[in-house]
Amino acid sequence: MIIDFHGHVGRWDSLDMVDDPAEMLRSMDAVGIDKSCVFNIFHPEGKPGNDQTAAFVARHPDRFIGFAYVCPTCPNTVRPELERAIDELGFRAIKIYPPYTPFPLDDSAWDPIYEFAAERGLAVIAHTGGEPTAAPAQFGRAAARFPNARFVAGHSGNIEPYRSQAIDAAQRLPNYFLETCSTFRTPGVIEELVAKAGADRVLFGSDMPLMDPRPQLGKIITAAIDDDAKRLILGENARGLLGL
Amino acid sequence: MASQQNSGQLSFRARVPVFDANIGVGHCHDRPSPFADVTGLRAEMQRHGVERGLIYHLQGETLSAIEGNEALRAWLGDGLVPQWVAGPSADSLAQLRALHAAGEVSSVRLHNTEASRAPFADWIYGELLAWLAAERIPLWISLADTPVAEVMETLRRFPDLQAVLLGAHYVHSLALRPLLRALPCASMELSRFENLGGIESLIGEFGVERFLYGSYYPRYAMGPMLFYLHHLAIDDDALAALTAGNLERILGGTT
Repeated sequence: MIIDFHGHVGRWDSLDMVDDPAEMLRSMDAVGIDKSCVFNIFHPEGKPGNDQTAAFVARHPDRFIGFAYVCPTCPNTVRPELERAIDELGFRAIKIYPPYTPFPLDDSAWDPIYEFAAERGLAVIAHTGGEPTAAPAQFGRAAARFPNARFVAGHSGNIEPYRSQAIDAAQRLPNYFLETCSTFRTPGVIEELVAKAGADRVLFGSDMPLMDPRPQLGKIITAAIDDDAKRLILGENARGLLGL
Repeated sequence: MASQQNSGQLSFRARVPVFDANIGVGHCHDRPSPFADVTGLRAEMQRHGVERGLIYHLQGETLSAIEGNEALRAWLGDGLVPQWVAGPSADSLAQLRALHAAGEVSSVRLHNTEASRAPFADWIYGELLAWLAAERIPLWISLADTPVAEVMETLRRFPDLQAVLLGAHYVHSLALRPLLRALPCASMELSRFENLGGIESLIGEFGVERFLYGSYYPRYAMGPMLFYLHHLAIDDDALAALTAGNLERILGGTT
């Protein structure tokens, strides 16, 4: 089973991003992606976006998996919205997006989200990269404080030196994972993630519909790694994290 | 449905001829190449089924077009076609004229205008562009390294010049269609264009003959976009046009 761990719901028109499920399914089917995880990051209070995600998933529940989105800039809604999204909407994990906030990923403002994930044994995927609040090392410091939650570094830090921060955290922490989608398709990145962190820590993601999943899947398929590693990255690791 | 890849198709190799339109060679300080010589490059090309490549030297992009072009000679050989870099100086144009007189020029690549702080404007590059148009030499221009508004305004003044626009990205989404409509002689290389369903959409509007495969290696990995093109909703004739035929046509059969 191939699972795409990073996808969006909502429109971002200036970048031509439209969450048309038919278009998304066409691209998924062209390369055999079975399921895509999706979330809406455009509403800090969580509920409007999570409701959009739920409606989107409900159209094709066998193909899409919803993740909850909340933001510490609306702290009073974090816990009740996470409870609603997980318990009532049936979402399987949590997405956070630190560039929209003034809080670095290791700031205590994020702790209610991490605490909730730790209580439920959920995965939290964060955008990571060069933005001041999104450093993979910050996310690693949070992961060390919440060992019962699983921390997924979206984009694996994207570029150096942030990619090395993500790899370092994955080497030190058993609950830290690396997700692969990135518009920076630097040669050798997948091979480096596998060699240094282990294939059991790497998850395929695409950023669909901002990007087409076909070239992002191509990064894994054309990487110089063995087939067992590809199977882990393409789906088996995600199945474990999501309890599928 | 799904699971095509799951049924054992965990590897990929091109099934049609491939002529990569965008390969850099040599090292840059900020971007050392994975390979120091042509042996490693050929191995990477063969791993993905890439038979030929249009190559330029990375030193020419940002430091010296002239010295980059001189360094390119060490990389040439079977299947590796030279692309000479053009800078804004009179010396650069003189070098290109000499190469052309010797029958060695099938295409020219504009250097990184943003890195050089020499805007892509006709009052800087006009003589070069007029010469290229007159000699029917196509010009490669990177949208990653040159502002799209400058590309539009300047190329409009040279309507007969065949341009190949490199590295269009989702950040160029709002500009791409107007650019391709306004510049009917321009083609688009696809290395960075990952918009969902975007390539099929552009082909449907402008025709497959306007687009071509380039990897932008080593800035980008060689295989993923080639894999993507092989999974477009197009037939193999169109695929072969994207991966080799359109580039051969633009280069004028000189390869």
